[in-house]
Amino acid sequence: MKRFLACLLCGCMTMGLLAGCGEKGTEETQKSGGDDAKDTQQETETVVIWHDGDEGIMDTIANCVNQELKEENIQVTFEKKSGLTDQLQLYGNDEANGPDMYLYAHDSLGMLAEMGILAPITDVISESDEADMLPMTLEAGTYKNTQYMLPVYFETLLFMYNKDLWEGEVPGTTDELLAYMEQHTDTAAGTYAVVNQHSTAYNVAPFINGFGGYIINEEAEPGLNLQETKDAITYNQKFAALQADGDYNTVTTLFNDGKAAAIVGGPWLVTGIKAAGIDLGIKSLSEFTLPNGEKLAPYSGVQGVGVMKYAAENRKETIASVLKALAGAQVGVDLAVNANCAPANEKSYEDEQVASNEMISAIKTTAETAQPMPNVPQMSVMWGPAESLLAAVNKSGEDVNEAADQYQKEAESAIADMQ
Amino acid sequence: MKRKKIKNTLKLTVLNVIFILICILVLVPILYALSLSFSGSSSALSSEFRLIPEDITLKNYQAIFTEKPFLTWLKNSVILSAGTMILAMGFAVTAAYAVSRYRFRGRHGMMMTLLMLNAFPQILSMFAIFRLFKTMNLLNSRIGLILVYAGSMCIFAIWNMKGYFDTIPLDIEEAAKIDGAGDFRIMAGIVLPLARPAIIVTAVMVLIFVWNEYLFATTFLLNESSYTLAGGLYQLQASDYSRSWPLFTAAAVLVSVPILIIFFCIQKYMVSGLTAGGVKG
Amino acid sequence: MKRKKKAAWLYLTPALVLIGLIIVFPILYTGYISLTNMNLFHWNDYSFIGLENYKRALAKADSGFLAAIGVTLLWTLVNMVVQVVIAYFIALGLNVKGLRANRIYKTLLMFPWAMPAYVSILLWRVCMFNTEFGLLNQILGKLGLDKLNYLSQNVPAFISCTILNLWMALPFMIMMIDGALQSVDKSFYESARLDGAGFWKQNFYITIPCIKPILAPAVVMTTFTTFKQFDIIYLLTMQKGALSGASLQTIITYAHQNAFVSNNYGLSSAVSILIFALIIIFSLYTNRGLKEENR
Repeated sequence: MKRFLACLLCGCMTMGLLAGCGEKGTEETQKSGGDDAKDTQQETETVVIWHDGDEGIMDTIANCVNQELKEENIQVTFEKKSGLTDQLQLYGNDEANGPDMYLYAHDSLGMLAEMGILAPITDVISESDEADMLPMTLEAGTYKNTQYMLPVYFETLLFMYNKDLWEGEVPGTTDELLAYMEQHTDTAAGTYAVVNQHSTAYNVAPFINGFGGYIINEEAEPGLNLQETKDAITYNQKFAALQADGDYNTVTTLFNDGKAAAIVGGPWLVTGIKAAGIDLGIKSLSEFTLPNGEKLAPYSGVQGVGVMKYAAENRKETIASVLKALAGAQVGVDLAVNANCAPANEKSYEDEQVASNEMISAIKTTAETAQPMPNVPQMSVMWGPAESLLAAVNKSGEDVNEAADQYQKEAESAIADMQ
Repeated sequence: MKRKKIKNTLKLTVLNVIFILICILVLVPILYALSLSFSGSSSALSSEFRLIPEDITLKNYQAIFTEKPFLTWLKNSVILSAGTMILAMGFAVTAAYAVSRYRFRGRHGMMMTLLMLNAFPQILSMFAIFRLFKTMNLLNSRIGLILVYAGSMCIFAIWNMKGYFDTIPLDIEEAAKIDGAGDFRIMAGIVLPLARPAIIVTAVMVLIFVWNEYLFATTFLLNESSYTLAGGLYQLQASDYSRSWPLFTAAAVLVSVPILIIFFCIQKYMVSGLTAGGVKG
Repeated sequence: MKRKKKAAWLYLTPALVLIGLIIVFPILYTGYISLTNMNLFHWNDYSFIGLENYKRALAKADSGFLAAIGVTLLWTLVNMVVQVVIAYFIALGLNVKGLRANRIYKTLLMFPWAMPAYVSILLWRVCMFNTEFGLLNQILGKLGLDKLNYLSQNVPAFISCTILNLWMALPFMIMMIDGALQSVDKSFYESARLDGAGFWKQNFYITIPCIKPILAPAVVMTTFTTFKQFDIIYLLTMQKGALSGASLQTIITYAHQNAFVSNNYGLSSAVSILIFALIIIFSLYTNRGLKEENR
């Protein structure tokens, strides 16, 4: 038995060795094959785009773009990278292994632009190519007066409710909403009126912005201990107490299981909700009035593509074709129809299916009053302290004033550490 | 005499009950995962806990085999673990033999230094290794990753095997030497067979490390088709928005099964392989 | 004799080259980067700035950092003691004469070891500790008790992390102690029993002294792993978007939060080197302790 095992192990090792060698061999031939193709310019050119989002959305984009670029022999491939910004920090300068472009939310734009790995979009295509884009989305893709990102679609948080569970009309003010929640929530039984990721900065931003506070402003100053921000957090705390744990998995499962009548969430939830067979109603967050008379003001997140410097320098023609295809109205229509994404191209809304989509019109209305997420590099270090503050207040029951001062300090030192 | 026997039986019964309880406690999370992986509902989490899901289905496993390049990942994992095992063990066995059999200056100091070096958190060296591999053109290649893994496990392997080699009496080797056998013949013919438990166990520890490592695997390998099982599994759950718990747990079960099988095959070597090194003190 | 020495170094060279490449070079490189101002705003055009980063890193060593050191030491101590004690008694139980099913128990107890660590952690977070769906709260609910939030305060979170760490680390320790127990000469117990020594006396005067030298390397290595433990605390309480409310920080999570998130590679390298120095001091200390015990 012992001998048999030893032999088996040895066999495995040898096989592995052989397989390893063989594998390397084929890789090399493949590589050289690729080089040949480049020389002769006959094979399809591949443009690699990294992303960290939903694969269904990326497939939709890829199908549409590849269809349009078939004649030019260009093919777009999306590759999913978890921890995209960390990966781009490593591979952003790496011509051999890095991507040609990336598709991601605009809040990390400033950071990537400062690293000097992105080429301005206007270096590759002219401004007239993006004339149809909504101004808000273009603005989100601009950092220090240079446009680094071509917007593709955008999203905001929405108030989504289960029509079978919600009693009566959805109220128009947050105070009435809170009153409804107090009546219809039974934490011990595990049934809730409204759930929200109440300790996630993105999900509390509607309150903070609506109260006139901010997480970080354009001058890159954190505003966690502003009176307005603290008021918003105190107000949100009343909601949080009636919203379960607030972790993503928990709140979505509660809603999909019919244990929560409404959820504050984005279009990415729709697939799961439909699968659960829920009759979904939608209301824009900007239709809720806060006690101070202002509307809830969520962040809008613009998803767009940025181009790596080396790709823009060496493959300008190819990249330009891809960008033009991405900017087209058809991509927007496909995204809207297949994935409920609100397109950045205004022309896409002329399509009937897009215009009649309840969710997309809700996102578009919200986006008109929403604030684009800040895209200064300092934003990347703000999520941590902001969320720690929310968790400290909502979950550990710490005093708002003390916690706000503490995490404001933490945010300031994190920003100082960047220099 | 009879009373003693009854007492003994009683003692064993109590012990058995305790052990059964401990085993259940330990296994509950795993059983839960197993039941999730067979569950047909999409959310899987539910407010009613049950060990046997309402609608038992194999569709999660089926999805992993058909929708995900599971077999490719498996192949990659096997290649990487086997490659690492050969490299790390090959280097470590000779090194451990040298440290164990030769008395040279700096021997003790070197072993201590190695132990210290092992204390550097590996995650901190990621950036440096990236730079190094970029200049050596080893990014996105299995060879590069094998080097990383082998280097990381080498120190542990040397330490573990050196301890075992120390326990093998020198007399047999002396006799072989008088017969004119060279170092390599002694190593291959005498020391290795005698040290088999230690070698097998160390090799398996290396294998488990590679099998379960995901951070370097997802950073240094760039295509979905070159991921390892752990790396692919990590990608599967990394995005909150597309996370499917039944799918994830099914994949987790599949990843763990090969390790469990290997475990049971080598269980009898485990004890002696890991501990005999210390017998001499 | 000289030829022999040469041969020894020859056998060592491959391993040393590999270790030099994968372990030593990164440490040196980190040391080099720590002397530069490489950060987001000087990504490619970084320059040498001397010990500036170390000054800043030490200036950051405020009460938070000291607390993190305290938590790390407490974490290591509590985990090691509990782990060794529990593993010891389980292993003793496994070695009781006449326990026929011990191989089955041993096999079952090894299961957690085969799971990739992050899978175990995520499973525990969702299936055990979750306030709504976690098994623990469902059991409490069945008993008619209030739901608890296990991860929102520091003390419960510390205990939860410890339990999870035990679950993940015990199999290895049980196996080690089990192995060590089997190497103890059984005749010692016979004579001890003749002398009238009870269970505790036998353990203290025979078993523990016998297995101590055998276990030492394994315990030292586990201590290092526990000291460096990052995944459990990070994934359980402070993953982005899923903060649990507890603000537990060990040295490594503290450094991660304060240096790595900011993308300031110069500063974070300086912090890394300082942590490495701390670990070396810590390990020299443990080693000395061990040696003294062995004497």
